[in-house]
Amino acid sequence: MRRLTSTLALAGLCVSMAGRARADVPAATPPAQQQETAPEQPSENDSDGYTPPAGTTPSVVVGGYIDVGFAHAQGDGTSFAPGDTRLPADYGVDTFASAVNSRGDVASTDSHGLFTNGFLPHSVGIGGRPSFLVNTVAADLKYTPPSTGLMVFTRVLALPRFSDAGDATHVLVEQAFGRVIPFDSQELALSVGKFDSVFGTEYLDNESNIRTGVTPSLIARYTTGQSVGAKLFYRIQLAPLWSAISINMAATNSGTFIDALQTPDVSLTGRPVGSVRLGYELNLPRVQAKLGASGMYGVRNDQSDTAARQRALGADLRVAFAGLYLNAEAVKIDEDSGGPKTNDGGAFMFASAFHARGFYGQVAYALTVDAGPLHKITPYGRYELRHAWFDGFTPISVDRITAGLRVDLWEAVIVKAEILINRELSGAPNVANNVQTTSVVYSW
Amino acid sequence: MSMSRLGIIAARLAPIAIGAACIAASTLAVAAPARIGREWLGDEMPLPLAVKTPQDLAVKAVAEKQYLIFNLLAGGKLAWDAGDYAAAATKWETLLRVPGLDPEIDRVIRPLASAARERAGGQAAATSPSAPARAAVVEPAAPPRPRLENVAVSGTIAGGGASGPGGAVVWLKRANGETPRPAPAKGKVISQRGKTFVPHVLAVPVGTKVSFRNEDTIYHNVFSLTKPNDFDTGLYKQGGTYDQTFKKPGAVQLLCNIHSSMLGYVYVVDSPYYAQADGAGAFTIKGVPPGDYELEVWHEGASTTTKERVNVGADGVRGLAVRVGGDRRAPEFVPDKSGKPRQSHLGY
Repeated sequence: MRRLTSTLALAGLCVSMAGRARADVPAATPPAQQQETAPEQPSENDSDGYTPPAGTTPSVVVGGYIDVGFAHAQGDGTSFAPGDTRLPADYGVDTFASAVNSRGDVASTDSHGLFTNGFLPHSVGIGGRPSFLVNTVAADLKYTPPSTGLMVFTRVLALPRFSDAGDATHVLVEQAFGRVIPFDSQELALSVGKFDSVFGTEYLDNESNIRTGVTPSLIARYTTGQSVGAKLFYRIQLAPLWSAISINMAATNSGTFIDALQTPDVSLTGRPVGSVRLGYELNLPRVQAKLGASGMYGVRNDQSDTAARQRALGADLRVAFAGLYLNAEAVKIDEDSGGPKTNDGGAFMFASAFHARGFYGQVAYALTVDAGPLHKITPYGRYELRHAWFDGFTPISVDRITAGLRVDLWEAVIVKAEILINRELSGAPNVANNVQTTSVVYSW
Repeated sequence: MSMSRLGIIAARLAPIAIGAACIAASTLAVAAPARIGREWLGDEMPLPLAVKTPQDLAVKAVAEKQYLIFNLLAGGKLAWDAGDYAAAATKWETLLRVPGLDPEIDRVIRPLASAARERAGGQAAATSPSAPARAAVVEPAAPPRPRLENVAVSGTIAGGGASGPGGAVVWLKRANGETPRPAPAKGKVISQRGKTFVPHVLAVPVGTKVSFRNEDTIYHNVFSLTKPNDFDTGLYKQGGTYDQTFKKPGAVQLLCNIHSSMLGYVYVVDSPYYAQADGAGAFTIKGVPPGDYELEVWHEGASTTTKERVNVGADGVRGLAVRVGGDRRAPEFVPDKSGKPRQSHLGY
């Protein structure tokens, strides 16, 4: 706890050094209230307003963020139970318990020499040693030619890893796509390239400068990956009902799993994977609710057997009311067994059939404050449960309780701290794998 | 008329006055170019000296008094040299009313003030050398203050970052006394056209009703989370309008819950003396009564407003040069109605 406190203090210091005074609306000194009884003076000054001339708005926008943190995972930083020699061993760590940062990276995937079959998350390689981390350096570039419905967007992530025990430092072109909105009269957007998943809603909060908390959910690894292909979004407004319905669908080389679990940039089978989300949204002045149902179907793209399929179904709910945010999402994942596996972790003997059921629910309350640099305070809590198994092996059920606090300073700085309590409910021995982690995100 | 003694007196005051003038000049670097004609550059009070202790206050009081004396002394001389005898007389008569004035200065200036007043066509003021300043103000012989007409304050805004100074909102508040309450403007409209707000920035007086009008062939929404001027129009289609009255001063950010790329501002001013800069930064505030004002400038590209003191004379102010910050970019992730940030590159 003392360590955590000192971490927070250090994070605060970093913030104060890096901070930039910005606000939602450029600040103006609140003028003194005038007496309502004072006579009104007609003004000779009547403004028609100002609109920048066409072509003067910058067509290229560059942005991004830097995410640094400090994390401590219990035990040796893995979820391998000592003495547990079951195969496939990576299933033991697949509880994904010790995620320590916004990328979902774990503290360690060191299996101590046991065979694993390539179903592992990425690792920052800190083991059980409390450590500072440079999680992500992200750069966005958006180009919008004037007077066209076209936009080109790229997001490149540099993922520095300074420990030999973890994954190597690498650069990931997370997104690179062109989007066209062909009709002014329709909410229709077509995208081609490498883009976010369309499954569920957690992908909307994929980046640490947007996500409420530090870590992604237990099921994010199945739903938030990026892939190469084509995407269509269409929405119809139902004005009398303050509502809208939408469809978001994609055909891509891979499915919606994250990059650690598949080869997202190429097709190993030559068969595209289809994914879709049907959405309904209610946008009342004080209450917003969004409901969605998602599906994904296609050839499993971490192997080359075209008969091995992957299927996913999901449901999501988001409700916002008076600063309170409720997010919930559930998924059902099924993968057939297939040929030799090839994914971000390398080549492996075969692709086991895999099944997962899981959900998360998160509650957050955003308290807007106006006290110097302090902009917003958001306490949050999350509960999640996952039940999963490889064919022929014991199902494992785990749950995770997350509690955290997010503080927004100015417009550019976010400080987050959270505690994750991981529990093995059945099918696996208890492992000391709770996590305390913090993150400071500076957007530029 | 010989002015040699005047030079000697000025020399005696120089060590204090020059220091004070340097301080003032450094802080008036922006405002100074705006002064035009024969106006003496140093007529700004109070001095921007930091006051944290009683000793600081004492130093500031002494410095300001000497600074005032120097300004009136030299300003009168400049006015005399420029042939503006009325201004010279006014400055020197004011100088003679300063309590505890050095007798040497009184002896030199008194005849000069009389001469200036005579040349200005008025009767020489019979200011008593020993009269206290407050009493002197009500001397019957003091020249009647002419009724001044409202004038214009104009200038140029610079800065604003990549988007330039266009759209900056400039307003004046009385430095002393209450600023008149502005009457609401009429017929103000902001359109949604081509998925943009037109105008992008609109300045209105407090209490103004603004009509939001959808000129696109798709549905739009307009909302603001900026308290206390937050509002939500709901959805409305082409040709539809929604009226919103802005009752509190300040910047109001305008967003659309459907189109995350749409961003605009209403700036609500609580003064009848306001203007918006054009694309080149030029602005003109009309109908300003002469006097001392605090000028304030808001720009969407600046995280803070810019403020400075402005003395509006009988001829108004022209050529005012003000720089606003450019440290704030348009937000990349604008929120939806619930305050949740959206990624505009997604297109929804």
